[in-house]
Amino acid sequence: MKIIGLYIQEVTRRLPEKSREDIALELRSTIEDMLPDDYTEEEVKPVLEKMGNPAILATGYLDRSMYLIGPRYFDIYINLLKIILPIAAVVSLISLIANTIISYSGEEAVLNILLDSIGTGIWAILSTGIQVFFWLTVVFAIIERTDHKDSQIPLTACFKEWTPEDLYNIPYIPKEKAIPKVEVFLGLLWTAIWASIYFNAASLLGVYEKGNNGLEFVMPTFNQEVLLSYWPLVVMVIGLEIAVAAFKLLTAQWTRKIATLNTVMHGVSSLVFIIIISNNQLFNPAFVTYMTDLFSITGDFSTWILWGAIVTFLLFAAIDIYQGFRKAKLQSMK
Amino acid sequence: MNTLLNSLTTELRRGTLTLAVLSQLQTPQYGYSLVQLLEQCGITIEQSTLYPLLRRLEKQELVTSSWDTTESRPRRYYVLTAYGIEIFQQLKKEWEKTSQELSLLLKGDDNG
Repeated sequence: MKIIGLYIQEVTRRLPEKSREDIALELRSTIEDMLPDDYTEEEVKPVLEKMGNPAILATGYLDRSMYLIGPRYFDIYINLLKIILPIAAVVSLISLIANTIISYSGEEAVLNILLDSIGTGIWAILSTGIQVFFWLTVVFAIIERTDHKDSQIPLTACFKEWTPEDLYNIPYIPKEKAIPKVEVFLGLLWTAIWASIYFNAASLLGVYEKGNNGLEFVMPTFNQEVLLSYWPLVVMVIGLEIAVAAFKLLTAQWTRKIATLNTVMHGVSSLVFIIIISNNQLFNPAFVTYMTDLFSITGDFSTWILWGAIVTFLLFAAIDIYQGFRKAKLQSMK
Repeated sequence: MNTLLNSLTTELRRGTLTLAVLSQLQTPQYGYSLVQLLEQCGITIEQSTLYPLLRRLEKQELVTSSWDTTESRPRRYYVLTAYGIEIFQQLKKEWEKTSQELSLLLKGDDNG
């Protein structure tokens, strides 16, 4: 009967070549055992229904899992995803922002660039996320299929089975002392933004006026040559900020060491900031005149903005330094 | 609620299937005769579970199989090996122990 042959074919096509014939023979004899001698197709159907879905029957013979990643690797897979996905997303976002700012020619309106960037940013995060997800899943699916150990005991992050000793490797982090990853990533994002702006200040920071094609860049705020002559100091500050961010990510909580490092970073960047901004050649003279006219400020515009900027900068630095030490000092409940 | 009960029952029975099958293979049986034997004792087993299980048992060298072509329809007969008999005896003891322990627990539950 044709329908039996089809059923058997559905099962055996999922099996390795060498066992097909044998299993086909056995299935046929079994199915016919359940039928009367002269059977009709209508009688065959309930029998086949009893045999069940051919795919499930074949899986039983294959002795192979019907899942991509089994219990042994699932936990570690999810944990790695949780670690890698946000990092990949942030890295792609940071590089995108840096790229956009650096390649900015000063011809387009900033608002348009901003809107464009939001679109491409979302797309960059999505596509990076999908890539990471795909490759990590592929790697784990391969590991799952090449690991022939019978054990189904889940593995820990070190690819070993869990023992109580593992508990010693887990840092105890109270909530108040913890440094959230988001905070570190936002910090890095901020570094990337201001660094890119610094190196492209000539075409970004300045006076915009309404022109024929929307906003038009009229004059830069800074004297670009003077501003850029400080680049070694600025690079040092960028390096420091990245180092502190990395340290924060690794320890994940406020300690005296981190708080001290944080203070050093703020100290150095404040110093560099003051050095740069107090150079009286820094501002574009045309810009100073323009601003003085615009706001009809009496007195020296440069001095006015200088002190405002320094005080604001120091204030934020001081707050952050204080918070760091306060959190580092908190007694952890043991 | 019934689906939960069903899945729990299936789970409870799954482990006993190997023992049930081994117990009936002390004499040679072919697939369908085995199903009938088990059903007579009230044990229903999915066909899609039984045939692969027989193969697995053969791979684990607990049973051997041979084709019998003397009858009108060729049939594959399975029977316990010496090793299979040994394992079956131990598994049987293990089951008896478990069921005793469990009935003790359940009895205690009734009195309490």
